[in-house]
Amino acid sequence: MTPSSMAPQARVSQNPAGTASEVASPGGSSLLGGYELGAAYDEMFDSDLLARGHYQQLAQLLDRTSSDEFRRRKAMTDLSMRQDGVGFTVYRAEEGIERVWPMDPVPRIIPADEWQQIEAGLVQRITALNLFLWDIYHEQHILRDRVVPPRLVLQGNSFRREFVGVDVPRKIYIHICGTDLIRAADGEYLVLEDNGRTPSGVSYMLHNRQVLKRVFPALFNDYDVLPNDDYPAALLDVLKYIAPESTATPTAVLLSPGMYNSAYFEHSFLAQRMGIELVEGRDLLVDANRVFMRTTRGLQRVDVIYRRIDDDFLDPLTFRPDSVLGVPGLVNAYRAGNVALANSIGTGIADDKGIYPFVPDMIRYYLKQDPLLNNVKTFRPEVPEQLQHVLANLDTLVVKRVNESGGYGMLVGPASTAEQRDEFRRAIRANPRDFIAQPTIQLSTHPTFVDGRLEGRHLDLRPFVLCGERVVVTPGGLTRVALPKGSLVVNSSQGGGSKDTWILAQAGRM
Amino acid sequence: MLSRVADALFWTGRYLERSACLARAVDVTFSLDLDLHGVLSNPVELEWNALLSMLRQSPPPAGDGEHPVAAVQRWLLVDLGNPGSVMACVNRARNNARSIRGSISPQMWRELNKLHWRLSDGAFQAAVAESPHDFCEETQVGVLLCHGVCDATMSHDEGWHFIQLGTYLERADKVLRILDSKFGLLERGDGADLPVRNLQWGAVLRQCRAYEAYQRLYISRVEPERVVEFLLVNPDFPNSVRFCLDRLLDSLTEISGRLPGRCDSDAMRTLGGLVSELTYLDSDDLDGERLHSLLGDSLGRCSRVGHLLQQQYSLQ
Repeated sequence: MTPSSMAPQARVSQNPAGTASEVASPGGSSLLGGYELGAAYDEMFDSDLLARGHYQQLAQLLDRTSSDEFRRRKAMTDLSMRQDGVGFTVYRAEEGIERVWPMDPVPRIIPADEWQQIEAGLVQRITALNLFLWDIYHEQHILRDRVVPPRLVLQGNSFRREFVGVDVPRKIYIHICGTDLIRAADGEYLVLEDNGRTPSGVSYMLHNRQVLKRVFPALFNDYDVLPNDDYPAALLDVLKYIAPESTATPTAVLLSPGMYNSAYFEHSFLAQRMGIELVEGRDLLVDANRVFMRTTRGLQRVDVIYRRIDDDFLDPLTFRPDSVLGVPGLVNAYRAGNVALANSIGTGIADDKGIYPFVPDMIRYYLKQDPLLNNVKTFRPEVPEQLQHVLANLDTLVVKRVNESGGYGMLVGPASTAEQRDEFRRAIRANPRDFIAQPTIQLSTHPTFVDGRLEGRHLDLRPFVLCGERVVVTPGGLTRVALPKGSLVVNSSQGGGSKDTWILAQAGRM
Repeated sequence: MLSRVADALFWTGRYLERSACLARAVDVTFSLDLDLHGVLSNPVELEWNALLSMLRQSPPPAGDGEHPVAAVQRWLLVDLGNPGSVMACVNRARNNARSIRGSISPQMWRELNKLHWRLSDGAFQAAVAESPHDFCEETQVGVLLCHGVCDATMSHDEGWHFIQLGTYLERADKVLRILDSKFGLLERGDGADLPVRNLQWGAVLRQCRAYEAYQRLYISRVEPERVVEFLLVNPDFPNSVRFCLDRLLDSLTEISGRLPGRCDSDAMRTLGGLVSELTYLDSDDLDGERLHSLLGDSLGRCSRVGHLLQQQYSLQ
């Protein structure tokens, strides 16, 4: 469809929810009727409740779709996810609780020019992060030049001093990165977190697209959506690229903690899409600093490991001795250059919350460029003036402990009690270096199917960046949406869902 | 291929086949029961107790006033407290498949997963109380679908052969057990009248999904000796012991990478011996004590093959 054939700007029917005429009309009420805007940036509608340019056709289609029809499609989505066994968690072997991670069928759309900005910003960021990691594990220029306080790196929990001076293959530390982006109230994309350890979610990005094409093909008619299906092939390219040069035909494997891990679906999905073995620690052994897997025909050499196990559990001889997930001797095999790991060991320091405020400085230091994607404004109580600001504004800030992740040790100011704030005030005074604070950002909202109609729900975006011979950002990403009304927590464990994420092709490419 | 993966593929095949065999046995017994209780004075539990002992399963724990037959059916089909129930077997097949999802085709995983969800449905399970037929039928069709999808979507490589090993070893074992359990019936000769005998031996065939194939071959009443012959040594029928053992030998040969007939392991030797014995069987061996010892010996050798495979291909 060409732009000229577009109807005039779609406008949401402004009926208050539940008027007599709507209730009486067969087939249910209008999906978008009574859509409410909050304080946050809404992805689909501007402040006058007019659909933004790239959302017009979708808004029109949704306006023509009855609630019952949409409910039917949503049920098909759920069934499909369940039958494919997508994203379940098991707590007990025989009668485990298995949960499907719900997908909302309304796609999130990002126009080409916006995506180009994001893409360039992500490439810039991962390039700087990899230079930073090489630097701090070698010459430490950035620390000597006091651009990043040495203490923050050298005393960071996830700094691996065992790896100082070790040369990693192709000088790449973070091969797979899942950067969390959010949108501020003015629509600007901000980086909330760089996940440079073992980020997950890419299988949902790929699977959501497959499911949406199956249950709601009509949605795609009006849009040129860039395919995201190349990710596994691009990941395999990266794994081959970092293989030890001694072998012409490297064997890569994916190392998983096993089927009870919450991301197991993703591990098996990626291994299958790449055609490599999905191994567990017990399938591998190290002999004379070389890694082998136990097969029906004896031991087979392994050259590259895409590991989905954290550093701490990778090798009981080097890190946590109680780990049964890892492979004894793996770290020495890695140091000897006989096996490659993706991601490398010690990347955690790059996405440490204490280091995060300095990423823009790293970009300027290593690349002599201004950051294309900004951080969320971050206060460091360690700095005396900022400490005063933080203590005076605890009720509006989000305070995070630098050495914790996954939402632990956090204070969300607006939702906190006076006691909680007092507790944090004391803790911050005692150890200001252990904290950072950020203004509470109202993540952008997007129409999401809830209780028979579309309501605004907050979401974020995790694009996936691969760093091998070149940096590849797969068009799209995982959009996570917080399903409870008003919630800003998008984690799957806390009632989160996901959406298919569409990156539109450059106009005129049809 | 990873030893752990080979092991899980083997058990996926084995548990799937076990659930189908059991579902068929329950379904046939339920139907036979309805036919027989008008003509025989035996208490109704007799057939069900015979089934339990054939399956080497313990009876259900004493229930709360539930009809004993209904209790046995529930115990065998849906009770997760019984590790040998159809539901438990399907769960185990699925858990094995899940642990190696990357090594089976997504289509096969999907069919197996769908089967699991259909059978887990509470209302569907509750209907077993009135008739186990739908549950049994659903299980069998689901397992057949899994086999078909597996054959059509997976490369017939090492992994596929491990699934075949599990499937055919389990099937051979179950057919041998069914024949062994009816041995007494055979010995008593024609104590029962013709229609009843036809029913009972017809049920044996149905338990092996062999009734129509048998009729087509022999075009006669169901003769016990012929039933034994058909289910034991017919080389063409997929549920005969001979057919299963041939497939096992094929798969073992493929996995070993040797030429046909070249033996490289104890599992193969044990299996090859049994196959040639059945291939060149004398018809005199098919009755009386000799049949009894042949069946017992065959069962023993099948279970030995299972143990040897485990030893040979696991490098733990």
